[in-house]
Formats: sequence, C-alpha cells, structure tokens
Amino acid sequence: MTSPAKSPNLERDLAQLLGRDRVLCTRDALLAWECDGFTVHKSRPRAVVLPESTAEVQAVIKLLHSANVPFVPRGAGTCLSGGPTASGNAVIIDCARMRKVIKISTEDLFAVVQPGVVNLNLTTEVTPYGLHYAPDPSSQSVCTIGGNLAENSGGPHCFKYGMTTDHVLAATIVLPDGEVVHLGSTTGPRTPHGIDVLGLFCGSEGTFGIATEITVRLCRNQQEVRTMLASFDSMSAACRSVGKIISAGLVPAALEILDQATIRAVEASIYRAGYPENAAAVLLVELDGPHEVVVEDAAEIATIFVAHDALKVEEATDPKERKRLWKGRKGAFGAMGRIDTDLYVLDGVVPRTKLEEALEKITEIGQRHRVNLTNVFHAGDGNLHPNISFDGRDKEATARTIAAGHEILQLCMDLGGSITGEHGIGTEKLDHVSMMFEPEDLEVMARVRAVFNPDDLCNPGKVLPQRNACAEVSKWPQMVAKVLDVEDTPQEPESTS
Amino acid sequence: MNRFDDIATWLRSSPGRVRVSGSGSRAHTLPKITDATPLHLSQYNRIERLDAGDQTCTVECGVPRAELDAALAEHELELPCLGGGTIGGLFATDPFGPAAAGCPGPRNLLLGMEALLASGSAFKSGARVVKSVAGFDVHKLFVGSTGRLFVATKLHLRLKPRPRTEQWFANRALERDQALQLIHALRQEAQPPTVLQLRRERDGSFAVGGRVTGRSVHVTSICKQHELAACERPASFHVAAAANSSEEVLNGNALPSALPSLLSALPEGAPFTWLGGGRFEAAMPHSQATDAALQQLPQANVTGTVLIGTDARRGVGTPMDPGEQRLAEGLKHALDPDGTLV
Ligand SMILES: Cc1cc2nc3c(=O)[nH]c(=O)nc-3n(C[C@H](O)[C@H](O)[C@H](O)COP(=O)(O)OP(=O)(O)OC[C@H]3O[C@@H](n4cnc5c(N)ncnc54)[C@H](O)[C@@H]3O)c2cc1C
Repeated sequence: MTSPAKSPNLERDLAQLLGRDRVLCTRDALLAWECDGFTVHKSRPRAVVLPESTAEVQAVIKLLHSANVPFVPRGAGTCLSGGPTASGNAVIIDCARMRKVIKISTEDLFAVVQPGVVNLNLTTEVTPYGLHYAPDPSSQSVCTIGGNLAENSGGPHCFKYGMTTDHVLAATIVLPDGEVVHLGSTTGPRTPHGIDVLGLFCGSEGTFGIATEITVRLCRNQQEVRTMLASFDSMSAACRSVGKIISAGLVPAALEILDQATIRAVEASIYRAGYPENAAAVLLVELDGPHEVVVEDAAEIATIFVAHDALKVEEATDPKERKRLWKGRKGAFGAMGRIDTDLYVLDGVVPRTKLEEALEKITEIGQRHRVNLTNVFHAGDGNLHPNISFDGRDKEATARTIAAGHEILQLCMDLGGSITGEHGIGTEKLDHVSMMFEPEDLEVMARVRAVFNPDDLCNPGKVLPQRNACAEVSKWPQMVAKVLDVEDTPQEPESTS
Repeated sequence: MNRFDDIATWLRSSPGRVRVSGSGSRAHTLPKITDATPLHLSQYNRIERLDAGDQTCTVECGVPRAELDAALAEHELELPCLGGGTIGGLFATDPFGPAAAGCPGPRNLLLGMEALLASGSAFKSGARVVKSVAGFDVHKLFVGSTGRLFVATKLHLRLKPRPRTEQWFANRALERDQALQLIHALRQEAQPPTVLQLRRERDGSFAVGGRVTGRSVHVTSICKQHELAACERPASFHVAAAANSSEEVLNGNALPSALPSLLSALPEGAPFTWLGGGRFEAAMPHSQATDAALQQLPQANVTGTVLIGTDARRGVGTPMDPGEQRLAEGLKHALDPDGTLV
C-alpha cells in the first residue's frame, strides 16, 4: 500500500475533483469516521471524500487507483463488524451525499436509488403508492441502501420476505480500477443465459467495488397487519412457541424474541413499551395479509401461546398500538447504552430447532466469562444477537468480552449454524472465519474477489483473513488466546494490551 | 459416479473437457460438444439431510426433483420453485426463475453448497441454515451456470411449508387484452398467486394460469372474485415448441408493463409463455423472425436470447453489459482456468 509520502498531492488532487468542502483531511474532521458500530476497532482514515454521482465516484477511484491508494466505501457507518473502517490509511468514499431516489415504478414495482438513500426514507417515499421496501434492518432509520447491499442485510421482516439479495434487481458499480459496470436489470438480477454476478456482489462487504445506483424491488403493503406480544416465564417456552409456529406451517412476517435483561433495559429507557418486566422473555409476532387470513393465523398462534403457558398475550391492529409493541424491540440496542459504556453486538445463526439449546449454552458462556449478556434476536431465522455490555476502557473486560463472543460463535458452528447472519465478517470476524471455512474455501473466495479487485485496493483487510493483516486486526487472536488460556487455568485474568 | 471421492479423483486425473450432466432433461438447451466427456451425477443422489423443523435440507446434486418432492411432502414441506430433472440440473439451468413476482426462484432457495473445482479440489460456500452472510456467496454463481464454473456436488436448500390449501387454475380461450387484464388484476392482490403464467397458444388464443395458495378462505375468495377455472397442475410450463422444425425458442426477462410491446415484437401467433417472475419463452418460426424481434426488444426494456436453435444460433441475443460480461468471463477463468468444464 502507498504511504502518504508517496502521493503527497493526493488531498489536493481530490479537492480539485470534488471541491474543498467535499474532501475532509483534518484530524478533527476525520474523528467521526474512525469506526463503525463495532467501536472496538478504530482506525483513522487518511481522508474522507463525499462524491455525489457515479461520475464523481469514478473520477475519485481512478485517481486513487493510479496513485495506488486504498479506499473504503461507506454508507451510514452502522455496520457492526468494522466493514467501513479504513484500515491501512485508506481514503473513505462516503456515499452520504448520494441520496436521490431516481425512479419509482408503481406498475413494475421497483425503485432506482443512489446508494446513500436511507432505508426507511425509501419506504417513506413509496408509502403514498401503498408500497414499501421490505428488508428492514433495525438500524433502518439511519442505514443506507448501499450499505444494505454490501452487507446483504436482513431485519425482523426477512423471515417472510427474505434478505437484501432477494430484493435487489440491478446495480451500477464502479470497480476498483474505475470501470463502470451494470449488473442485472430492472427485469431481474440475472438474464436466463448469464450467471448471477449481482448475487455474488451482494454481501461482498464493499470489497468488490462501489455501488452507485441500485434498483430494488418494492412490495405492496398488506391489507392488514397485526402485531402480537406474548410473554413467557422461561426463554425455553418462548423458543418452543417459535418452533411450533414454524412447524405448523405458519409464516408470520416477523418472529422476534427479547430476554428479561433486554426487557428491563428497554423498560428503564426512553424506548419503554410496557413490556412485562417479570417475564423471562417476550415474543413479538407480526402477521400480515388479507384480513381473513390474518384473523385465522392470529387465532391459531394464540392457541400455541396458551399451550406454551404464555403469561400474557397482547394484540394490536391499529398503527399506534403496533408501534408501541415494536418500540421496545426497535429501541433495544439503544436501551443497552444504559447498561455500560460499550456494546458488543454478536451475530450468529443456529438451526431454528436448536434455539433453546443455544440460548442455554450462551447463558452459561456469559456466566463463565463474567460478562453482562443480553439477548434480542430474529427467532424465526435462528439469528441470535447476544449483546455484551462492557466498559471499553477496561482492557481486561474487553478481552473477556471478545473471548465470550468467540465461544458463542463456536457454539453456533457446533450446532450447525453460521458465524454471521447479517452483520458480516468485516474485521470483527476475521479470526472466526476459519471456524466455518477451510483454507480451500477461502482460496476460492480470494480468486473470486481478485476478479473484481485484483490489486486489493478496495476495502483491504476485510472478509478474508490475510497474512499481511493490519496491526489492529492481528491483535484480536492474541487477546482472545490470552483470555482463554487464563480461564483454562484457575487464575485471575490479566489485562491485555 | 456415486461417490464424492470418485468424482474428485476422476477430475484430478485430467480427463480433458468435461460436461456435467444430471438427468439430461435440459441437454437440448446446451451447445453440443462432441469432444467432452460427460460427468453423470444422476447416481450421486442421496438426500443427505432433511431438517423438517428448520425447513432446510442437503441433497446430492443427482437427486431427482420428484424424489425430493415426495420426501418433502411427508413433512408437509415443499421446494417452492418450478422445474424438474435432477436438483443439480434444475439449479444449474434455472429454467423458469421465480414463478411469480416476489416468490422465490432457485437463487433465493440455495443456501450453500459443496463443490469441486475442475481441478478436483473441493470447496464449500454458504451455510446450511436459512440465514448466513459469512464469506462471499460463491454458491450463487451455480444458478444458471450450466455447470461451467465448477461441479456442485451437494446443495443446501431452503424449504417452505406446503400451503394449507392450493388451487391450480387456467382460464383459457381469452383475448389478448382480457388475459393482460386478468394478469394485472391478480398482481394487485394482497396475496397474489404464487405461480402466475400467461400463455399464447398456437391457435392464437391466450390463457392465464397459475396456483393460488394459502388458507382456504383466501384461496376460495380469490378464485371466486376472479372467476378462476380450476384445473390440474400443468405438465409443463415451457412453451410448446414444435419438434423437428426450424423453430427457435427465444427466452428472456420482461417486466409486466412490457408485455404488450413484447407481444407486438413477436410474430403474430407465435406460441409464448410468460411467468409472473418475469421469464418468457417464445417459439419463433425461423431465425429471421427471431432477429427481427431481438432488434425491437431493447426498446421495450426486454432481454432475450436464443435458448433452443442450432449451435451457431444458441446464445444470440440482446446485448449484455460489456462490463458484466467481462466479469462473468473473469469468474470463469478464475474458477476454471483451463476451460475444462463446458
Ligand atoms: C442498532 C443497530 C441495529 C442493526 N440491526 C441490523 C439488522 O436488523 N439487520 C442487519 O442486517 N443489520 C443490522 N445492523 C447492521 C447495519 O446497520 C447494517 O449492516 C447496514 O446495512 C449497514 O449500512 P450502512 O449504510 O450503515 O453501511 P456502512 O456501515 O457504512 O457500511 C457497511 C459495509 O458496506 C460497504 N458499503 C457501504 N456503502 C457501499 C456502497 N455504496 N457500495 C459498496 N459497498 C458499500 C462498506 O464498505 C462496509 O463494508 C444494525 C446496526 C445497528 C447499529
């Protein structure tokens, strides 16, 4: 990688392309781009640029490519795995100013947007037409469609409607050498004779190029939406209810669980939703569809709740009440800010039949590592989010947090799952990739990445572990190993540097 | 071959050019290659895992679709996409895409895979669970690849519960505008048919068919409201091309709003089918008619390519983005540098 000294005029050249106000270089200005939602990994970029069009992104990338300077695409920075953090003195290409909705087709049900369009804003924009954009990460009021595409994001409603990859039809991409390519079309992501290059791009975590225009499918709003909240006196009962709903062949729009610690954090916060604080878990179920179908589904689910000894069941059809029931779930991560200064949001997946077992073992892991652990998760997909609240200034606590996370992800793998359901690998999980993939698998992925990004200038040091991984990242295995070693031998854990 | 190790060993023995085949049901859509050794996977046909509670399964690529359907039916599950042959062949050719807008096609149902590079080296991608974003989705490249990138051996699939009620329907002998109106009306439904097909028969008449699924109250109400005529599940969703003629089959993707222009671009009376997910097929009387249609399709925002025709004609179509094409070729080269898989 090129050092700043090797391209001393870069900042000036970038300013010539975009104007001074859209190139940030001062130490203070760069502070906000030091990390994403994974605050444990911080690294200041060399500069941040704010292009507004495909042509500007292309011009910037051509310049960086010719100077051999690495760069990192960025949306809203809500990623929880370090994806948009600039390793190795890279320049951040921030898409925040690319927020135009270019086209809406109410007949063919698609929208063409710039990557910086905020997820929820797209739905707001198409609401007058009775439409919405289905993938709804819990961060949807902030995160961007570009970030969603790069992460293949999910959300509560992905249980029924699928992930981002199921909703992206086409994308204009600027490749790391500055070439502009168009993948897919409004008629579909893949022509009958082509391969699914767009499907591969989706979820590539900003390492294949920058998407500058994205065509997404829109969904019609359903005739009726009903939200149910059931509380249980054990997490097992909540998980078993989920299993029963799924095995009965019901397909609610969302199935979300919050554990007691999360309920209490929520109820003590501004996201207070009136959840019963004595419950060990609450299960939020959302049903949508034609009125008569929703009525029958709700009755059947209510019977399942009774059979699993639900303490209380609430049901809401009017938007205000539904919003209240969702408020606690949507604000859950925010509410955890009350527990400690930092939050490590884990993201693992287990088969839905293993939810109960997984949660029991996660509690045990949390206790063993003496971490403050809460659970809020997409139960319908088996996608767990154990959250560890900790004080990031305390190195020993940080190390225990990381070690507990490591074990939880290993547990997900042991149960036949995945190390990430929606947050991606980024830098956070570079050490965990080998739990899931063999060197041969990673070698094939590296070959595929090299087709798009042969010089590794685009978002280097992410997704695939590298031998020359940057210093910040290679600290992780040492930290984890140290904590695990110490805990194997009955001593007090040491602090790590 | 019915053992993974045998397949890997055989590939490692540098067998020259290789054509992977399942049951051969789509062989007529692929170029004929005389010097390629076939790698038959139809004997590699175990359902390795069926987790009914998780609604996922792992199958060897040679498992016949019909056999998987029967196994799934025992658990009130289904693989909700159209197409037959072996499961590997179905995913490698993806003949229909999604059967209706918003419904899953093979690309949405493939969770992960185990595969062999042409060199015989094994690798995997994706996961067995319904949600995973770990690593790059190399398995997505299998869909529609016709086995030219790597040899997929096992697929991890997402399943869906069998609907409580289903009704196949076909409203036949419609005028063009009647048929288009019915398609439009059904697409407006809050819970539209999960298979939706427009057909133009050889006699020039139109038909709208499909499958309505869900609770019986919903199925009954939709069928009644739109006066849908009940029928059995159709034997085929392909266009009825005449055998042994100079006909070519053109296929591609078209949005619903493009249907009138697409129909106008095709010769009067050419048999035609369109599925709600966007895929169409048209039986063209001769190559000149195909070329004339291909000229007009881009203006209508329709993509099209010759699917069945002479070897020289197969693959002729509307232009693809050169960048996407270059990436596709780059991926082929990266995964199969010697061009073994044809
Ligand atoms: C409170 C909270 C709740 C969350 N809930 C969910 C959830 O329910 N489901 C879920 O999936 N995720 C969730 N996330 C994670 C995060 O919001 C998603 O990953 C989101 O898609 C990131 O979007 P962003 O705009 O913030 O992208 P960023 O964080 O800025 O970037 C994410 C990645 O995308 C790349 N990227 C960004 N823009 C582009 C582009 N135009 N072209 C190419 N690459 C690009 C970046 O390089 C980076 O690797 C949550 C995060 C938070 C903080």
